[in-house]
Order: sequence, then C-alpha cells, then structure tokens
Amino acid sequence: MEYLLKNGYVVDPVNKIDCERMDIAVKDGKIVESVDESKAKVIDVKNMLVMPGGVDLHSHIAGSKVNVGRLFRPEDHYKDYEVKSGVRRSGVGHSVPSTFTTGYRYAILGYTTVFEPATPPLKTLHTHDELNDIPIIDKACFPLFGNNWFVMEYIRDGKLEECAAYIAWLMRSIKGYAIKVVDPGGVEAWKWGITSQDFDQEIPRFGITPREIVRGLVKVNKMLGLPHPVHVHTNQLGIPGNYKTTLKTMDAVKDLATGDRSILHVTHVQFNAYGGVDYLSFSSHADDIADYVNKNPHVTIDIGQVIFGDTTTMTADGPFEYKLFNLLRGKWANADVEVETGAGVVPITYSRSNYVHAVMWCIGLELALLIKDPWRVFITTDHPNGGPFTEYPRVFSWLMSKKARERVLKRIPRLARVRTNLKDIDREYTFYELAISTRAATAKILGLSNKGHLGVGADADIAVYNINPKEVNPSADYKIVMQAFSRAYLTMKDGEIIVKDGEVVAAPVGRTYWVNAKAPKDVEDVVIPEVKKRFEEYYTVKFENYHIPESYLACSAPIQPLEPLG
Amino acid sequence: MKVVSAVVCPCCGNLCDDNEVYVEDNKIVKVRTECAVSSSKFLNYSKERNIKPLVRVESQLKPTTLEDAIERVARMLVEAEYPLLYGWSNTSCEAQKKGIELAEEVGGVIDNTTTVCHGPSILGVQDLGDPSCTLGEVKARADLIVYWGCNPSSAHPRHMKRYSALTKGRFRAPEQRKVVVVDVRKTPTARNATLFIQVKPNQDYELMAALKMLLQNEEIEEQEVAGVPVEQIDELAELMRSCEFGILFFGLGLTMSEGRDRNIDAAITLVRELNKWTKFAIMPMRGHYNVTGANQVLAWQTGYPYAVDFSRGYPRYEPGDTSAVDVLSRGYNDATLVVASDPVANLPKDAVKHLCSKPLAVIDPHMSITAYMADVVIPSAFVGIEAEGTAHRMDGVPLILKKVVEPPEGVLPDVQILDLILKRVRELKRGR
Amino acid sequence: MAELKLKLKAPPQTPVEGEVLTPDNLAGRSLNEILNLETWRGNRRVKLSELFTVEGESASKPSDLHIIIEGDLRKVRHLGARMSAGKITVNGSVGTFVGFEMTGGTIVVNGDADAFVGMGMSGGVIEVNGNAGDAVGSGYWGTRCGMKGGLILVKGNVGTALGCWMKGGTIRVGGNADVFTGVRMQGGTIFVAGNVGAKLGAAMVDGKIVVLGNVPNILPSFHIDEIRPNTKVDGDKIEGPFYVFHGDITEGGNGKLFISVEKNPHLKHREAYIF
Repeated sequence: MEYLLKNGYVVDPVNKIDCERMDIAVKDGKIVESVDESKAKVIDVKNMLVMPGGVDLHSHIAGSKVNVGRLFRPEDHYKDYEVKSGVRRSGVGHSVPSTFTTGYRYAILGYTTVFEPATPPLKTLHTHDELNDIPIIDKACFPLFGNNWFVMEYIRDGKLEECAAYIAWLMRSIKGYAIKVVDPGGVEAWKWGITSQDFDQEIPRFGITPREIVRGLVKVNKMLGLPHPVHVHTNQLGIPGNYKTTLKTMDAVKDLATGDRSILHVTHVQFNAYGGVDYLSFSSHADDIADYVNKNPHVTIDIGQVIFGDTTTMTADGPFEYKLFNLLRGKWANADVEVETGAGVVPITYSRSNYVHAVMWCIGLELALLIKDPWRVFITTDHPNGGPFTEYPRVFSWLMSKKARERVLKRIPRLARVRTNLKDIDREYTFYELAISTRAATAKILGLSNKGHLGVGADADIAVYNINPKEVNPSADYKIVMQAFSRAYLTMKDGEIIVKDGEVVAAPVGRTYWVNAKAPKDVEDVVIPEVKKRFEEYYTVKFENYHIPESYLACSAPIQPLEPLG
Repeated sequence: MKVVSAVVCPCCGNLCDDNEVYVEDNKIVKVRTECAVSSSKFLNYSKERNIKPLVRVESQLKPTTLEDAIERVARMLVEAEYPLLYGWSNTSCEAQKKGIELAEEVGGVIDNTTTVCHGPSILGVQDLGDPSCTLGEVKARADLIVYWGCNPSSAHPRHMKRYSALTKGRFRAPEQRKVVVVDVRKTPTARNATLFIQVKPNQDYELMAALKMLLQNEEIEEQEVAGVPVEQIDELAELMRSCEFGILFFGLGLTMSEGRDRNIDAAITLVRELNKWTKFAIMPMRGHYNVTGANQVLAWQTGYPYAVDFSRGYPRYEPGDTSAVDVLSRGYNDATLVVASDPVANLPKDAVKHLCSKPLAVIDPHMSITAYMADVVIPSAFVGIEAEGTAHRMDGVPLILKKVVEPPEGVLPDVQILDLILKRVRELKRGR
Repeated sequence: MAELKLKLKAPPQTPVEGEVLTPDNLAGRSLNEILNLETWRGNRRVKLSELFTVEGESASKPSDLHIIIEGDLRKVRHLGARMSAGKITVNGSVGTFVGFEMTGGTIVVNGDADAFVGMGMSGGVIEVNGNAGDAVGSGYWGTRCGMKGGLILVKGNVGTALGCWMKGGTIRVGGNADVFTGVRMQGGTIFVAGNVGAKLGAAMVDGKIVVLGNVPNILPSFHIDEIRPNTKVDGDKIEGPFYVFHGDITEGGNGKLFISVEKNPHLKHREAYIF
C-alpha cells in the first residue's frame, strides 16, 4: 500500500524540520523518498501538523499491578465505557482502562509506541499477555532489578561480570527491554516492614546500599550494551525533602559517563523533587533538579505531571504506597514478589485546592520548562500515577501556553502559587520542542532508530493533527491545541491507516520489542547453572518454567544489543 | 518412554510445577509427584471422560459430528436474548479469552466459578484493597501462618510443604514457624497447628472484631466472643502482633458463611491494621487451578473480574445481578453454555432448576452431571495434559501448562472449539 | 399531575432495562413518541410498544408527570435510574436497582422490590410497600459510598447489608432486617421497627441506627454508653427506653446504636459497663 500525505506542515526534529510544508511518502510500511502519485493513495493534509507517531517511554499499561488496579476499581470504569463497534472491541476507560481501550485511546492521541516501565520478572508472562491484548501500538516492558536477590548479592560481592550474565539471561528469558530500578533496596527492606530506605544506608540482611546497586547496574548496562540507559525511580519517592536523594542518585553515576551519552534515566522526577520536612513545609526543588540536569548531560528525565482529578497510583514502590495509604486511608493493595520486587496500588484524587497537590502540579511543569534541552526531558504523567494518559493534550497546552498555566494558577492555594517558581516562568514550548519531548527524544533514548522521526527508512508511524501551526498561536489558543491533540486527524502505523478523524478504523497487532542480551559464553556457562541451583532455595517455581517462549509474544521483535562500551 | 519434567499440575490453586510425568505410547504410565490428588489426575484423567460430541434426541444423548454440535451451539447462542456463558476456571487463559470474545459477540453474560467461591473476596478487595504477596515470600519469611476457614491438608495438599509451614525458606526454617488454624471444627490441618481456635459457625466476623479490639488495646464487654474465650483471642492477637512476617490464608469458611464479602472486608481490614505492628499479608486459597486466571483475563480485557454482562454491547458489572447464580435464580437467561465446570453439582437448587429448563450446551472433557442434563455436549482436551495453556496460581504467578500426550482423535482443546463456535456465530449473524 | 399509564403486556423472560421509564425521559413526549422509544430486553433493542400498552398523557415538565406501571416487573431492572423529579408508581413487584442514582422525585412500589433499592441515591423518595432485597441504600461496587441523601421507606422486611456504606439520608424499615444492617455506615439514619440480624453496625464510622425489635448480639467493637428514654429519627420522637452503644471502635467510629431495652433482655449484662 502506498500513501502520499500532501501539503502538511511537517515537524521532524531528528531531521531538523520545523513546520515546513512537505509531502511524506509511505510504501510498504516505511517512509520512502517518493511514491508514484498516480498509483498511491493521496491524502491531503493541507494546513495540518504532521509529526512522527508519539513514543511514550513510561506508562503503566500492562501487568500484574496494573490489573490489580483494574480489578479493584470497578468504580473507575463504570461510567467510562466503550461500546463494541466495527473493528473495536468493547472496554472501559478512565485511569485504568482495559487493554483494548488502552490501545485505541493511545492511537487516537496519535501515539504509536508505548513502553510498560516496570514488570516483575516472575510475573512477566502476565505482562506480555496483556501487552498482546493492547492493539495497534508497538510496546516493550522493563524488568525490575533494583531489589533482586541475585543482583544484590552479585553487586555486594563485586561480581559484576556474573551480574551481567545473570541479567542477560533474564532479559532474554522473559523478553525484557531495559534495566528498571525502583526504590533500590527499599522494597526488600519493606518486605520486613521497613518503610524508608536511605540512598547510602545498608539494606537489611544484604550488606549493600542503594548507591552501590545503582552504580553496579549502570556498569552492567554498559557491559551489555543495552539500548536504553538504566531507568531509575529513586528512593524516597513522595517524601518531603527527597530532592536531595534525587540529586545524589544522579550524581552517583556521573563518573561512569563517557562523553555526552546519557547513562541514567530518572523517571517521573516530579514525585522526587520535593523540599521541606513535612507536608506543611512541602515545597518545590524543581529548580535545583533542573539546574543539575542542565549542567550534566549524563542524565535524562521524564516529568510525571500531575493532573487534577481522580486517578490510581501504582508502582513497584510498595513502601511508598503503604505510606500513601496511611495518609489517605482508602483502598490499598500490596503485591510483594518473591526474590525480585514488589508493588502497591492506591487510588487518589488530586485536588487543586490541596496545597501539596497544587505544588506537585507546579513541579512537573517547572521541570519541563526549566530544563533547557528538550532532548533530555520527556513529557509523561507516569500514567496513571499523575493522571490518565488521555490527559496528555492538557499537559501540552500547559507547556505551550503561559495563559493556560495562569488559568490553573489562579485557582490553586495562594501559598502554593507564592512558594513555587512556575508563575514567573515565561517559556512556552514550540511545536518543535513538543515533538522532541514526546517523539524524537524518547525514541532516541530508547534506542529505536526507526521511530520518532519521518526520515526515509523510518517506520511509517505518523500522526496528523488538525491544527495549522502557521495560523494558530498556541500561547493564546491553547484550547485549540488541546482539542487537536486529543483526536488525531490521522494516525498511521507501519503505513496502515489506524485512526481517521479521531476514530479507530483498524486495529492490527503491534510489535513487542525485547533485547536479545548476551554476556560472554564462558561467564554464562558458570552463572546460569549457579542460578538454577539457587532457584530451588529462592523461588517457588522451577527454573525450567521461568522462561517465556518467544511464541507467547503475539508479534515478537527481538533487538540486538548495541556494541558494549568499555 | 519419555520423561517430561517440571510439569504443572492442573488441579488446585497451588499450581505445583515440579511434577514428573512418564509417557509411553501416548499414555501416562507413571507420575512422580508428592500429591495424591495430582497423581490421581494424571493417571486417571481419561476414566469417565467423553470423547464424542453428543446431542439430545428425544430425551437421550446421541453421538453426532463435531460440525453438527458446533452448529447447534452457535445457533443457540445467536438466537438467545440473554445467554449465560459460565465456568472457565478449569481451562486455560487462552480459552478464557476466546470465551470473552464469544460472550461479547453474542451479547451475553460471562461468569466464572468465582461466583460460588471467592466472589466475596473480590468484593472485599474492591472495597478495601489487597495487602498480599507471592507464595515465595511466605516461604522466605513467614514465621506466623494463619489458616482461617480453610483446610489445606485436604483441599490444597502440598500447600504447607511447598509454600508455608513445612518448607525451608531463605530466612526461615520450619521449626521457626507457627501455624494457627481458625475453623468451626478441628480439621486435619488443625491437628498440626500451634494454636487451634474453634469459632462458632457464622461468627467469624465477631471474632475478627474482637481481635482488632484487642490489638488496639480496647476493652471488650464480653467474656467470650464467637464461642472463644477472650483470653484465647488475646493469645492470637499477641502471636499476630509479635511475629516478623505473618500471612492469613482464608477459604470458603469465610467467603461462604454468613456475611460473605463483609467477612473478607473484616479480614483485609485486620491485615491492614496488623501492618502497623509488623509485616502481614492476606491471600485467598483459590480452589480451581485457573480461577485466578479467569479473574485476571476478564479484568484486563473488560475491566471487571467476573459477572460481566455484554448485553448492551459493552462490559457491565453488577455482581448480585449479573453473576451466574443470580442470573439463574432470577431466571434471566434463556440459554447457557457451560465450559469446564459442573454447575448442576455445585449451584443452589433453584439456579440449577432454571439452568436445566433452558437450552444448555456443555464443553467439558468429563461426562459431568451438567453434561448429562445438556442438549449438546462437546468433548474437550484436558488442559495441562493434552493441551498447552497458561494458568495463574492463587498468588497471581502465571505458569505455562504443558501438553504431555495427544488428545484422542477428534477431541480438541477448549480454545479451538470456542474459536469454531465464534466463527460460526459470526457467519450466522452476518446472514441474519 | 399528568398521568401516564403503562401496562406490562407480559412478564419478560429476559431482563428489561427500566432506565428509560423516568419522568425525565418521558416528559415532553407524545404518546406515539413514547411508544417508539427503545430499551433493552436481554441483548435486543425493543420498542416500548412491544412491552407495554400506554395510555394517558405526558407532561412538559418531569416534575408534573406521574408514571403508573401495572404488572409483574420483577425482571425490570434500574427502574427510575437517575430520576430527578416527578413520580413513578409500580402496581406490582419490581426488579433490581430501583431508583439507581436517583436525585429527586418519588418512586412507590406496591409490591416487593429486589436487591439494591436506591443504590447511589442522593435525593428523592423511594417507598416499597412490600419487602425489599439485599443492600438497600448501598453504593456502586468500589465507591465506598452508599446512599448520600433522600428517603427510603420499606414497609416489610429487607435483606442483608441495609445501608451499606451509607453516607446520608434516611432509611425506615417497618419489618425486619437481616445481618449486617448498617455495615460500613458513614452517616445518615436507619430505623428498623422489627428485628435485625447479627453484626449490626459493623465497621460503622458515623450515623445512627435505631432498632425497636430484637438484635441477637452487639459486636465486641461497640461500647455501651447509657440508657436513654427515647430518641428522634428525623425529628420524630421514638419511645424507648434504648440501650445506646457507640462504635465501631475498630474503625475509630462515632456511630450510635439505639437498641430497644425491652426486646433485648440478653443484653442486660452489658449494663455493667455503663459508667
């Protein structure tokens, strides 16, 4: 099938194209130099914005804890439902949508790649099963390592090569994509009921600190040449004063960086940028974090923006969720996973009249606006922790329009307004910067060279928005921005039309990426039998049953690691 | 003869995956397992099984072709205004997904056996949450194991040896663990307990309220609650408060006695409170080997874990009205498809009466009692023996069940049968 | 008030959705339009004319419309859902979820009602002149919030979990209530003229329950306060004397139970704990 998207205003930062009138040619699922206009299907996208399909590197859409959220919140779903229609299966939405609805709603936003950022290896067959049921988007999942017994023991004993071999084996076996770390050591401590873990404090019964875990894993990541940096959710999430831990974590691996390449991605930093000593003195230290990120290219972040309204928090950070439960005293789920990690789920309503929530809302935007390089700060809501992904267009409007921000600032408590910097920030994102932060840069940091741009050879994942960048001033007309980005005029995936005028018209199966990680054979030959032996002691399943056959991925797309560095 | 190892047993919610099955000439000749139930399943599964599609002709079940059976089931579903698709707990996640697709296509109600066992647990979770963990956490750390209203010695034979009281974990040896059993009578499990508390039938809630009062150092205005002297309740409170890692396993003794979901509310609340003093978790003892999977798959595809009504073209959840027992007792449905379950043997009388009064189709390897009452019976392969598939353990750990022998000629796995029905249903609907 | 008379032609085999039958939906419509309105019977869309005969006339405003329905409506679900004004009278029994999330108006059932009467209700009146089922005045699953306002009157008996998670409003029961009356109550008032089952007021944090009949036990998580000669329900004086308990203490609750002294001699031993 050949297509020619004519006359659109193309924004393609990888190829330095900024709202230029250009035609995009598509053939056999790829972007090509040109097509025969007489044979191709011509789609006139005059006066519309043409971008690469969105690439979301951090969104909780699949797996055991997401499903706990769905299962225990029927009230989240019953008023937001989708009727079966045409190619679309029925489903439910709001903060923890069902799988089919998740895929459709992302496609309607013009997103074509979404990664699940945290999966417990023991339950990853479940994660893949859900990912298989999310139509359209390409996806992957990040296995959790920061509280893994094998990893902690190897790092404690200085056995980094063995650790790398273990991680390579695990990544291949369960079809994971990157090393994810959540509250390093803290979740293991929580399994004994301890709810706080300091970055430089030894984890009970393991004789190792979170700092050592993070450093060890960054080294292992380099050894294995995985395409994405170590993806970290730092200790002390949600706690007033935690910005110090965030800075310490970022700085802890600075010496391991080579050149300008980023080696650590710190996620949903909004939740980790707090000052004060309690929720009364709670304040924003987004400026300190932004300052550090501006000066240190070895780090990338995503913001984790808060949206006022009802949503569901869910994270592998079990101790944090326990603390949140004690604050809110509503529903609370906890799911410790043997040997590996944990999880917690707690519903929350962010209220604009709540001082703490209002400051949190400011922080996410401050981070995005104070960090100068859009290639290193990505727009997320840590769906659904900050808010549902369907609210992304609202976040875009806040970033592109000071007026839109002021409208919200007017309605938050005066103290929150006064104690934060947001009101004084004039910067407004351009369409170009938006495209970087939601497509070009995220694809790049994930190592997906065929995504996030519209150059020849790229996957034909394209989003067209009915907004004329030459006529609309996003600063003034932020409502138009929100509307346009809420329903793509056209979404194309692998050169197939998926969304037409905000309606899903096709629902193909997307790819599941995973990294076929490898370590030197002589090391693997020693490590894997060792691991197998300890399996009997540690786990309650057999070593043989831990492996996930490739056939269990609906559309398996293995990726070879990069050349390992150093 | 070949040996298949690490075989997952398709019997109960333990989903033990360390069995060894010896196969010769497509027959299981020996099983190396520590469980009598498992052994019996692997060696005797093919006794009393049905391998022929059957259709009721003048009140007798007679053999027919698979094509004919599929046709009848498809027609039955398409013609029905409110079909019920029930069962699902003894088959694979792959089959469950097909079932959901089918229920959505025919605008019916899909429900699983949760409705008669741990439905109340799910309702409790939906109000209070679920402070839980995987079984390996219990193995590694638990020094207090409470079995409340359940009898693993009979219903989940290897539970204590593999996961809890009698196993050696990284931080805990068997002799460092204590077992408490709370039940209405002294069960086999209770005989080996450190502490057995005999609670008056239907008064578990009262007992938990007393326990919570004592944990909070509040006075109780009685000498005895639920038939248990307050001193004994205090003993339990002290055990719970002073352990390092406690786990509360519970079963039908709580879910099916007076109060049902409110009993589970109380149990979850108790465990939440205990986390003030120590680390404590709760876990339901799921019976069927893949009822957990049925809840999980239904929840991720529709948003709800059981009792899902598709009659209006989208999933609706109103347990107590859209749950199978209620649909049947009120006589809502006008046709039923039963997959991998035996409701006639398990459900209340008036539900069964209505079930048998309407067109009924059954997909099952066994000639179950429900199959004997059916209008159409389609034989299926045993998941975990003759068909591969995914299942979820009682703690949500997913495992792949193996195919160790071929099914008999012409006998298909549930997922394929359902797929054939779905295809035929779509053809009939297009024609309509 | 204008009167629309609907007569159910025959009790349906499969469940019928009653949501469309509210004054809000039928006001301002001609008879012909009403007959052509569609609803669900099982998974089929059917016109109201297929299910009911319709006589009388509608009103332009919902508050002026009285819908009278005759027949065995036990399989009609969600009747009066989200109703805000006007009146519905059912001369017969009605199915589940009558008055679901209603905000105003009146529903009268001259027969029995099934489970979930007034689920999510925030205003208005529901009167059941027969018995009602389980979970009267409760809330949708997972909301942790039941009825928020309004009045539910049941002449006969009710099932279990009366007023589950109730936050406001009043429920009066002329007959008996089953176990878990007032469970998880957060506010509002429950009055039961007859007996109640075990576990009264379980996990309640606020609200008031008055029981004139027998209660088999009071949970250990309630403490006795005093004996009062009488009490009030929505301004009406109710003669006692009553044992007054507060709880549920395990929830830090400040709910109050008023239990008839006369009908509960087995609670006498609790008097020893009165200060």
